[in-house]
Amino acid sequence: MKKQNEKIFTILALIVLGILVYLAENNLDAYKLRILNLSAIYVTLGVSLNLIYGFTGQFSLGHAGFMAIGAYVTTLLVLPPYYKEMIFILEPLVWPFTVMKAPFIVALLLSGLLSALVAILIGLPVLRLRGDYLGIATLGFAEIVRIIANNIPQVTNGALGVKGIPEFSNLWWTVGVAVFTIYIIKGLINSSFGRALMAIRENEIAAEVIGVSLTYHKVMSFAISAFFAGVAGGLFACLLTTIDPKAFMFVMTFNILIVVVLGGLGSITGTVFAAFLFNFSLEYLRPIEAGFNIGPIVIPSIPGLRMVTFSALLLIVILYMKNGLMGGIEFSWKGLARFIRKIFPNKKSSEGSVM
Amino acid sequence: MEILMELLNADNITMKFGGLTAVSNFKLKISPGELVGLIGPNGAGKTTIFNMITGIYTPTINKIYFQDRDITGIKPDKIAKAGIARTFQNIRLLENLTVIDNVMIGFHLHLKSNLASAILKFPNYVREEESIYHKSIELLEKVELEKFKQEKAGSLPYGQQRKLEIVRALATGPKLLLLDEPAAGMNPQETKELMSFIQKIQNDFDLTIFLIEHDMKVVMGICRRILVMDYGVTIAEGNPAEIQNNPEVIKAYLGVDAIYA
Amino acid sequence: MPLNLFLQNLANGLSLGSLYALIAIGYTMVYGILRLINFAHGEVFMLATYFLYYGFLIFNLPWWASVIIAIALTAITGMLSERIAYRPLRNAPRISVLISAIGVSFFLQNLAIVLFTGIPKSFHRPTFFKRIFQFGEIRIQSTLFASVIVSAIFLTILIYVVYRTKTGLAMRSISTDIETSRLMAVDVDKTISITFAIGSALAAVGGILWALRFPQLFPFMGMMPGLKAFIAAVVGGIGNIPGAMLGGLFLGMSEILFVAFLPALSGYRDAFIFAILILILLFKPDGILGKNVQEKV
Repeated sequence: MKKQNEKIFTILALIVLGILVYLAENNLDAYKLRILNLSAIYVTLGVSLNLIYGFTGQFSLGHAGFMAIGAYVTTLLVLPPYYKEMIFILEPLVWPFTVMKAPFIVALLLSGLLSALVAILIGLPVLRLRGDYLGIATLGFAEIVRIIANNIPQVTNGALGVKGIPEFSNLWWTVGVAVFTIYIIKGLINSSFGRALMAIRENEIAAEVIGVSLTYHKVMSFAISAFFAGVAGGLFACLLTTIDPKAFMFVMTFNILIVVVLGGLGSITGTVFAAFLFNFSLEYLRPIEAGFNIGPIVIPSIPGLRMVTFSALLLIVILYMKNGLMGGIEFSWKGLARFIRKIFPNKKSSEGSVM
Repeated sequence: MEILMELLNADNITMKFGGLTAVSNFKLKISPGELVGLIGPNGAGKTTIFNMITGIYTPTINKIYFQDRDITGIKPDKIAKAGIARTFQNIRLLENLTVIDNVMIGFHLHLKSNLASAILKFPNYVREEESIYHKSIELLEKVELEKFKQEKAGSLPYGQQRKLEIVRALATGPKLLLLDEPAAGMNPQETKELMSFIQKIQNDFDLTIFLIEHDMKVVMGICRRILVMDYGVTIAEGNPAEIQNNPEVIKAYLGVDAIYA
Repeated sequence: MPLNLFLQNLANGLSLGSLYALIAIGYTMVYGILRLINFAHGEVFMLATYFLYYGFLIFNLPWWASVIIAIALTAITGMLSERIAYRPLRNAPRISVLISAIGVSFFLQNLAIVLFTGIPKSFHRPTFFKRIFQFGEIRIQSTLFASVIVSAIFLTILIYVVYRTKTGLAMRSISTDIETSRLMAVDVDKTISITFAIGSALAAVGGILWALRFPQLFPFMGMMPGLKAFIAAVVGGIGNIPGAMLGGLFLGMSEILFVAFLPALSGYRDAFIFAILILILLFKPDGILGKNVQEKV
């Protein structure tokens, strides 16, 4: 398939997506929109985690930390100054946050940049670690971020959190950012830089000996991943309209990890699919908690049953579908064409013509 | 044009791991265009020498010079950029990447375009990518691996994997090539092909080669100078004839009694 | 700081440290054998406290019976989790097992919410444990003595088991090389199960002592102590049992002394522990007593 055709298909698909977003925004109720928005944010989170973990092979458990940084930066920039004065009741908000204000897009960009900066600072020492050790070190980092957020009420309002954040995140933003994230990260992966990242994943020592700078590539990958996590954090804050340190506990990182593992490490398509599946499942499992019948057996309303069922299902996927639900396949127009040709073969193509 | 008298100079280096001395007082000067062999029983410290030269270990005592530049303790990727490439005893391919990707990565250190142009696919980046793609195909054709270019590297048979690893090393454009037991696991026919291959690439790519081997046919066949190590110490150095008749060497390989056999 | 207060803090640190030590041993044993950070270990600790609560306070069993049953049930839970969630992944990449462990952890937490509700339960201590001993101006709860003495006893038994019995030898053999151990007719599956049983039992003991000291039970109570105990194991040298003990004591002391000397920063006590973790990983990743195993190139 010619590159021209692929570009045309992609543009067409984006237009279709735009139409769908328009229809959704104007017709669906708030409840459904919330799930869609959350799913789109999870796409950004998942794809960015996939970059550092699925493609570069670095097991980072610090994503919630970068999200938190992004969420608080966006919040502080997006709230009007008089409002901030009002709600910071534990301790007065410290200057210059009192006077700072920025448009949503600037706030998101700054959130991403600050997260990326922190990632570089943390990454330089910590990315020397391997495997589990890197995991717990980054986990430690995320926890430290959360604990700091809890303890600096003059910046974050401490454990009380911040409420009344303007609800800027709509489907245009969340889906737009998700599409942008995929565009950038896909561009990264299908490039020499991406090749170097995968080399590091496959065999660090070999990669180094071939001339791939481990430090540069790992830190860059980590920083870009953190950038998008930070932006997602900002979107998250402006979707839920309230944030507090508890939202960024390890559960959050684990949720994103689930999405990445479910979708298949190293598969962006899988992550997109899994992000929606994850959020929709969580919502549609809610009725379990209201009580239901299995034939003659009556199961009463038990709070928490939803999460238990969900964790159990998760374990099953982890145990029995090691390549994720998609099996590591990546979407491409070429692949789709091949697939369609298999189902609807016509005389010409079955004669083995080369595409 | 100035001709360097020595390409590599390992100046009396010693490698200690805690209380264990793996290599002591290793001296070696290699001139451009040489084909030097390093042999010795298992555990003699041969791979440790390679690891020191390529920056994976830093010698505990003294220094290594490459083209008169002190490369002691420099990281492996910088050493590759300086012009030293190597292969590994237990082949280290990027198994889940394609054969051609494995080679293309070798050309990375010559890339000039930056990250942004790579992501956004600017023309200068696209040109470079195409160039290294074609160069990689050329290299693969030299070892008849071109037809496997889209296969996963890990799926190749053992002998092909070895060739691929050497080709990948060649992609980095080295002046000095270190081969760690390239003939391991090969049958006599493959070994013969390997020997001519090594001599061919030395010619075609203007290389200096330093190799570790256990297969004496290879060592005695193509190396003009051989070093023998045992227990971390160099016990003999010379041309193949000298080495074959050296009593210390015989003792190291076959035990004391063999001298009197 | 007046001497009395310092000694008081030292005593508290010792007590907290011995609890961390008991939990840390479980982490270190499992890591030593399977190279797995058993994220679910904290939840095992949490379940032990609930088993004790139900045994002692709901079913009104005598104290000694509740304790034994709680320890036994916890050991079984540990072995079950290994059997169901880790053994199938024995040959999978290490990350898969790690993710599975996190999954088990979350499953157990949510199960606890379902079974016991998320509302904190108060644990009423038996009268003996309410006694407070007075040494001059220092007041020491009897639970402190209990923690230290019990930990010491169990550590001694454990060291005996690991270094003087065939099972212990099997454990040490597996932690060095699992394939060769199998070839030497070591029953790997059984030994691993026993390891989990012992580790969980020790966590149960830790849990019981913890409930006596901090008598509030809630489903997430295992997360922080579990994480800190793991950090203790890393500090002492992951895979090293005396190291876990040392690490636990060190961490407990550090935590208490940190709050004692810097009360204004007491909100950061957990962050302090994580900072210790990161520093140790960067500068002495093998911990205080750990061994240096380099990857062969």
